[in-house]
Amino acid sequence: MNFITHVQLQDWLARMMKDRTVIAPTRAIEDLVRYQPVNSPDAIAFDFTRTAISPKEFFLPASEAILTIERVRQIAAGSNNPEWNVKLGEPELDRSQVLFAIRPCDTHALLALDALLLQEPVDAYYARRRKQTTLIGLACEHPGATCFCTSLSFAPDDSNGMDVMLYPVEGGYALEAQTEKGQVLTDNLALAPYRGERPQKTWLPAEFSVPPRVVWTQLFNDPHWGRLADRCLSCKICAYVCPTCRCFDVRDYIVAQGLGYQKIERLRCWDSCMAEGYQRIAGGHNPRPTKAQRLRNRFYCKFDYYPADFGALACVGCGRCIEYCPVNVDITEVLQSVAIKGETLATNSTRL
Amino acid sequence: MIEQIRATAREILQNKTVDLVIGYEVGTRGATRPAFICSADEVDRLIWNDACTHNLTNYVRGKRVPPKRDAPPARLGLVLKACDARALNVLLRENQVPRGDLYLIGVVCEGMRQDAGFATRTLGDLQPRCQTCTERVPVVYDSLIGERKTSEVFETSEVWQELDRLGVMTPGERQAFWDAEFARCLRCYACRQVCPACYCVECTAEQLDPEWVGIGICTPEKRFFHTMRAYHLAGRCVGCDECARVCPIGVRLDLLNAWFRREVQQTFDYQAGIDATTLVPLATFKPNENLEL
Repeated sequence: MNFITHVQLQDWLARMMKDRTVIAPTRAIEDLVRYQPVNSPDAIAFDFTRTAISPKEFFLPASEAILTIERVRQIAAGSNNPEWNVKLGEPELDRSQVLFAIRPCDTHALLALDALLLQEPVDAYYARRRKQTTLIGLACEHPGATCFCTSLSFAPDDSNGMDVMLYPVEGGYALEAQTEKGQVLTDNLALAPYRGERPQKTWLPAEFSVPPRVVWTQLFNDPHWGRLADRCLSCKICAYVCPTCRCFDVRDYIVAQGLGYQKIERLRCWDSCMAEGYQRIAGGHNPRPTKAQRLRNRFYCKFDYYPADFGALACVGCGRCIEYCPVNVDITEVLQSVAIKGETLATNSTRL
Repeated sequence: MIEQIRATAREILQNKTVDLVIGYEVGTRGATRPAFICSADEVDRLIWNDACTHNLTNYVRGKRVPPKRDAPPARLGLVLKACDARALNVLLRENQVPRGDLYLIGVVCEGMRQDAGFATRTLGDLQPRCQTCTERVPVVYDSLIGERKTSEVFETSEVWQELDRLGVMTPGERQAFWDAEFARCLRCYACRQVCPACYCVECTAEQLDPEWVGIGICTPEKRFFHTMRAYHLAGRCVGCDECARVCPIGVRLDLLNAWFRREVQQTFDYQAGIDATTLVPLATFKPNENLEL
């Protein structure tokens, strides 16, 4: 482990910016810290607990043309029949990028997404971006007001999944390269070794634990879900600020056309199960027509379906959905009431 | 005041005037949130404070849908501030709910604080709209709780000053200002979902056949959505500013809607929701109207 001063860190970042896209937390407007590509280390906001929007948008952009098709009608030499000449295009994915100051919760979220998107059939766009991105982690100093990662058995200074990890210490940071990718980036840094143990903080102990899957199965038809959904607005804030919500919609659009020419884009955009039309199918049937069914699905996806199918929780305890929900749908309140109901069920069944 | 709200709610639930009372309760981490009270035993959950900012008329249409087919629509009790009362008048004027199915618990409101309704935010100053609110007393109610203070100082709204700043910009500068706002938009539709006046069964922005706007989360689509919504709200928006409050990335929708509100007021001398009978300027067609511009 090495020691890097704040000035050295700024130098290092400035050098990185020459040949890579550096994405870092910036103050988009007052009170809104968000990851954005930066051109100067001065633009980076260091005083943040976690950003408003998760960095998933640099792996799964909100809106992306995953395929472009250009068709031109041509008459080949010696032929009388015009033919369509078709050219296929893909988004530009090969520029390497560095995600600076990513928090451990957001990296846990990427690991959870990997479990789905890197397994066959691999999501090629996500996979390419993951490969091209170096993650420089920054351990949390203070947990945010809605953070609950410790209750999900994660830690605010966990270096798991990071390429380089930074721990804030007196006068700078303790720096540790975690992977080969991280090694490449830190190789020509002439840094003093960090003397002492890996900096460790005491974090708030876990306040609760995630109820086991069997409880979720038993509570599927519980009236609690309906009451919880009473105040839900059916907007998509929770899903769009969430680092693990990954659902999308795909549609093809003709973006330009003329005589003998056509350009088509296949657009992939964020979508969410919170939206009424999300599940609507051809013919107009909607299998999840009520707000209660949709809100319930959000929690079942995170704590029941996703762990069952892909082995990882689809929640990392970042607390963004709690912070931004305008009607106080609080995921920790949901987890705790499910746990209490689960215990009641267990006591009742032993009594029987 | 809280006791009076609870007593009224208890009474109308007990004597079956209503099936459900929508008010406010304490949520997690000190947040104030909407409460849905179905029985008199639960009325003690109801509270009143300076964070009851949610416009509960947004829930009226959804909550009237009966749980069982062929059952009559639910009758609702509603805790109502002055701004909410105007939003309710808009719904009444547009025949979205019969007045007879509602019991309105009007509350004299002294203004709501900034950042109200969220789990962890510290309450700030009075919201700008409340600083300049001269109403305080709902324009429509069945029982009124609280008394109006006799002397109050009203400030000039910062929003009007900001509108003036926008007004002197060139169209290009104004477009650039709004595009910068819309660029941040996530298209999460929270502004639309929270709006009592946005009740279309199918939103133009999500209609599939015909598809007016694509699914792209890019500035052109977002510009279309917000501009379309602002036009549809012109003369109908009461300025409860819920759209701006809920926006997770701070798009200035309060400013956008205020622009149209001021325009409608200056052109037609009309303010949305003052009563439930006056014709709405931009949603009324008169056969003898002069259509030449």
